[in-house]
Amino acid sequence: MSRLDSVIRRLQAQRACLEHAAALVPELPGPVFELGLGHGRTFDHLREICPEREIFVFDRQLAATAECAPDADHLILGDIRETLPRAARRFPKAVALIHSDIGTGDARRNACLAACVAAHLPALLCPGGIVVSDQDLAHDGSTRLALPEGVGAGRYFMNRAS
Amino acid sequence: MSRLDINIRRLKAQRACLNRAAELIARLPGPILELGLGNGRTYHHLREIMPEREIFVFEREVAAHPDCIPDDDHLFLGDIRDTLPAAARRFAGQIALVHADVGSANLARDARLASFIAAHLPTLLRPGGVVAADRDAGFAEARTLELPDGVAPGVYFLFARAPASGEAAVKAARSGAGS
Repeated sequence: MSRLDSVIRRLQAQRACLEHAAALVPELPGPVFELGLGHGRTFDHLREICPEREIFVFDRQLAATAECAPDADHLILGDIRETLPRAARRFPKAVALIHSDIGTGDARRNACLAACVAAHLPALLCPGGIVVSDQDLAHDGSTRLALPEGVGAGRYFMNRAS
Repeated sequence: MSRLDINIRRLKAQRACLNRAAELIARLPGPILELGLGNGRTYHHLREIMPEREIFVFEREVAAHPDCIPDDDHLFLGDIRDTLPAAARRFAGQIALVHADVGSANLARDARLASFIAAHLPTLLRPGGVVAADRDAGFAEARTLELPDGVAPGVYFLFARAPASGEAAVKAARSGAGS
């Protein structure tokens, strides 16, 4: 499998999981959090499939073009280890859907960051809220959700808050 | 259609066109030119589907994953406006496949670059040689090839240098030798 094959597989898994998650939370009020904006492609997809939702984006710095970036009120810049606990105070148990795609090539850094994000999820997600992620973000009281068809195990993760 | 959809469509089209190009040149000798390395994914794919081919990569500045970087003998580092004419002198009429992935957000710049590349293709390509590109790099003698199933027109492009005159010459030479 080439790196081209593997990026296609990853992006298709990402898209399938986001669409599956969006279809699972229509009854839940509350905003969507996008952790890691990058080029803004999944943010663009989220606002297309959840047009009525408020979407807050977290990133260390803004690298996307204006077309794929949120307005200033919905962009929370800084280290996620600081911005996420602040957001938990502003949106306690109120977030319907969180997408976290913050993985890099550095496995140890990824594990640290994933543990940090997972620790804040119980305070952020509303009951039944879903976290879709490139690393497993199982957390206190969460249930692992089945992946959509065609998404291989371990390629993407979906967990639901109790 | 979101940017995520567009990106997936583009990458799938790219893969389908490269796989098709590999079939088309299966019996055609000659190296491959990869114009633009980027993160090295398509170079990685080309190596996987054509492990016996020599692949030369053109890039202004290498920023690829370490296992997607060619050795120095197969890397033309610098502005393609300098390196491609040099390569055209070295490989005149030998290249079996050119893959040009030049796209940026700047359409005017991309069009200029595509036509600069297109101008060198007749010199570089062997008769019957194929071009896969993300921009219209067609040239006067080029034959537009049918795109693989599922690839929408305009997402990716496939051209071939017409084999006609070359083949005719070979056939004429062969029949001359046989008679």
